Amino acid sequence: MLEDDQERFKDEARRRLIIMGGASGFLFSLLGGRLFHLQVLKGAAYRDMAEENRISMHPIPPHRGRMLDRFGAVLVENLPDYRLAIIPELSGGLSTQLERLKPYLDLSDAEIKAALDRARRQRSFLPFKVKDHLTWEQIARIEARIHKFPGAVIEALPLRTYPFESTAAHILGYLGENTKRDRKRFRYLRYRSGDLVGKTGIERSFEPRLRGREGVREMEVNARGRQVRELHSSEPLPGLDLHLTLDVDLQHQAELALGNQAGAVTAIDVRSGEILAMASRPGYDPNQFIRGFSTKQWQALLADRDRPLTNKAIQGQYPPASTFKIIVALAALEAGVIDPEERLFCGGHLERYESKFYCWNSYGHGRLNFQQAMAKSCDVYYYRVAERLGIDAIEKQARRLGLGELTGVPLGGEKKGLIPSRAWKMSTLKRAWFPGETLISAIGQGFVLSTPLQLANMMATVANGGVLYRPTLVREENPSQPRIKRRIDFNETHLATVKRSLEAVMQRGGTGYKARPHMVRVAGKTGTSQVVRQRRTKEGRAIQDSGGNQRLQDHALFVCYAPAIQPELAVSVVIEHGGGGGAVAAPVAQRVIDHYFSCPIRPERSGGRA
Amino acid sequence: MTMRERSGGGILSGTEEAQGPRLRLHAFPWALLLMIMAVGGIGLLTLYSAVGGAEKLPLLINQAVRFSVALLLMMVLALLVDRTIYLRYAYLFYLVALLLLLAVYLSGSVGMGARRWLDLGFMRLQPSELMKITLVLALARFYHDRSIAGSITWRDMIGPVLLTAPPLALVLKQPDLGTAILIAMAGMLVLFVAGLRWRVLTGMLVGIGAAVPLLWNTLHDYQRRRIETLLNPENDPLGSGYHIIQSKIAVGSGGISGKGFMGGSQGHLEFLPERHTDFIFSVLAEEWGFVGCSILLLLYAMITVRGMIISYTARDRFGVLAAAGLTAIFFFQVVINIGMVLGLLPVVGIPLPLVSYGGSSMLTLMIGLGVLAHISIHSK
Repeated sequence: MLEDDQERFKDEARRRLIIMGGASGFLFSLLGGRLFHLQVLKGAAYRDMAEENRISMHPIPPHRGRMLDRFGAVLVENLPDYRLAIIPELSGGLSTQLERLKPYLDLSDAEIKAALDRARRQRSFLPFKVKDHLTWEQIARIEARIHKFPGAVIEALPLRTYPFESTAAHILGYLGENTKRDRKRFRYLRYRSGDLVGKTGIERSFEPRLRGREGVREMEVNARGRQVRELHSSEPLPGLDLHLTLDVDLQHQAELALGNQAGAVTAIDVRSGEILAMASRPGYDPNQFIRGFSTKQWQALLADRDRPLTNKAIQGQYPPASTFKIIVALAALEAGVIDPEERLFCGGHLERYESKFYCWNSYGHGRLNFQQAMAKSCDVYYYRVAERLGIDAIEKQARRLGLGELTGVPLGGEKKGLIPSRAWKMSTLKRAWFPGETLISAIGQGFVLSTPLQLANMMATVANGGVLYRPTLVREENPSQPRIKRRIDFNETHLATVKRSLEAVMQRGGTGYKARPHMVRVAGKTGTSQVVRQRRTKEGRAIQDSGGNQRLQDHALFVCYAPAIQPELAVSVVIEHGGGGGAVAAPVAQRVIDHYFSCPIRPERSGGRA
Repeated sequence: MTMRERSGGGILSGTEEAQGPRLRLHAFPWALLLMIMAVGGIGLLTLYSAVGGAEKLPLLINQAVRFSVALLLMMVLALLVDRTIYLRYAYLFYLVALLLLLAVYLSGSVGMGARRWLDLGFMRLQPSELMKITLVLALARFYHDRSIAGSITWRDMIGPVLLTAPPLALVLKQPDLGTAILIAMAGMLVLFVAGLRWRVLTGMLVGIGAAVPLLWNTLHDYQRRRIETLLNPENDPLGSGYHIIQSKIAVGSGGISGKGFMGGSQGHLEFLPERHTDFIFSVLAEEWGFVGCSILLLLYAMITVRGMIISYTARDRFGVLAAAGLTAIFFFQVVINIGMVLGLLPVVGIPLPLVSYGGSSMLTLMIGLGVLAHISIHSK
């Protein structure tokens, strides 16, 4: 029985083995046939190709996508850059020719040496670079005499150009030669050595879209590698243009308004989360990254204490100071711990936990209601409110409004800021929460940190009635990520109360009154954040001595939205070591808002001209 | 054949064991060994040329030593091993290979990027290579004692599918598409010889055909682009397409009689990438021409036929199936590698058996051939 089965199995298996044998025979003859085709029938042709002519591949770089602002102004483009190159084997004496070129191209000895170095490293039928970034004058001088320099050619190569120079430099980013890290990050884009890649800003975060795909020219070259003819070429696929949400005019105004001060200005459309301007000063000219720095320039950029390479709007973390009172106010109304009409007393300081908590106005504000406290930015009022509220409620409200988390703006290196909590303190500092720290937190000092973009976004959320957007920089028809992070269900009455108090800040008697914009009514909040603990006199008066040291001055902050009714724009301003928020930061916002609302030809902001 | 032996149809039947093992040198397939040595010799000569002559002698010596050790291993596996050992321990070998594969997967995920090998100190072992052999043995073992002549149904396939899926997934995860395809093909072939119904076979092929577009839709854009490049190198003439074009020129320029030993120009310039590993056939083709290639192809064909004859005459089902599967692995590797070099198949990383530089592949191939010879020795 078993034997039978075994035999039956073997019979069938053998039949199948024969089929397999036939199939493998077929495949072997297929290989043989292909070999016959390649080697015998076409052997001569391939032999020619191999021995006399070889195929060489030349990559054609793709055209990198441009960047345009919301009205179509070109922010980043590719312009031809002219350079002089020489084909060594045609030149008849390379060093003498370079010597002769010297006066026409203003070549230095070092440049000649570098050029000879480059020539030595490549084959003599390929042109090598002598000098790039030729000026028109140099081109004219050499073009007229090009016949005197055999082998010399003027080539045009696309050069990434930032026509507005340092304007919006931190947002746009810059390019640099790819490194191992870049190749790993954008694995599927396949860079070859020397290819440029976005290093920061939008140039980096939208690299895959901007880059496009490389084309190739298949050339027949002879044994020495000289090109004989073009066989086949595939066109490069250009990168896509990006339409940014920026308004380059407004951006420029914001940067002008900051002037020489170190700091950041952010302006967001509260209806869409689109960033219209995001300035960070001091800055740099991204064109320099493309053309190359001198070591000295680079050292100077790195050594500058005002950190020009940092985008302060997303990477600068500052105590929000009194602007944080908006959070505390909302939390307090929501928790029902204060009545807007209830008056609390400020005598210049509050004694708690065996120490004195000072108001910025050490003479005291007297008895204040909710609106007055906001307008005058009374610290003692908020100490008292915080006491009733507790840190947990403050933390919760801050997190709801996007503080302490990444906004998700499409730029690398964004910082989270810090919203302290009991759990946070326990895990990082190994200490229990100290009640006095609740009071300090309530006025945005102590551990609390936020970025200017977070503050602008918080203001936008208050202005639009509770929609927290993921701020965007690129206008897209089909945004891949939802632009709304969450909708906050504010109590209408509470929100209206807070908004009214913010309007009062900008009215007579408010801390922002002097810097109120002229074109439109605004709701805002000033803030002045301590950089170092202040020294005080015996009577508790703050000694305003920065001792001439600007580094010890306070940071000036201002957040606002405008118009107060039906808001469109939310703005945050932070000026490092600027001094008082109302005096220093608010005027910057004033200028930005006035500019925004004074330009007549922008009736359809959301549509744009482009 | 004695009556006793004929009637002992069980798995572990046999008489040799009772008399103790003895060297059956007369039964050893010496012709097979000769052919293998011929291919290996051609391989060493080609490698010598491919790596640029005497300069890289250590590389060559390395390979020669490996080849000798592998030959020795083959003899040991064929001659000095109990008749039923492969049958008895097929599942165990499979399990060991699977664990090694898992170990690579885990250590690979701890480190960075793709890792395919385990460092044994003296060599790097690729468990995926080992898996090819052990899977074939396990599948042969599975069908050894099932009554299935010519009529494997869907139900009889559950076991083999369960055996094949885990290693296949692990190898794909590495990712090593070439080896995964080989494993799948070898598995299919064992099933075919074991008696997969034609209907089921057709059904499976149709099923695979239907699954491809479905799978395609779930891929990301850039993943699709990679696969497109794999299938159509012209899309990527600077990457893998470049290999194909240059390799075709090298092969074609060899002509009928070749340019002579060390005479190839393409292989010596930088035109040919991977010229001592996956693309070594093009070096051979350029220097030895159509004549040389035909000789090598013939040797490969003869080894394949010899393997099939071993399967044909094997003593038991396990022998039939294992021999067929092992032969198929060898044969598929030859066809895929040469097909790739000649521009007939997409570029996947499969070395040319016994010729390409590399230890793991050489060692596992010889293990497979050793088992094959073992089956031959114990055939009727």
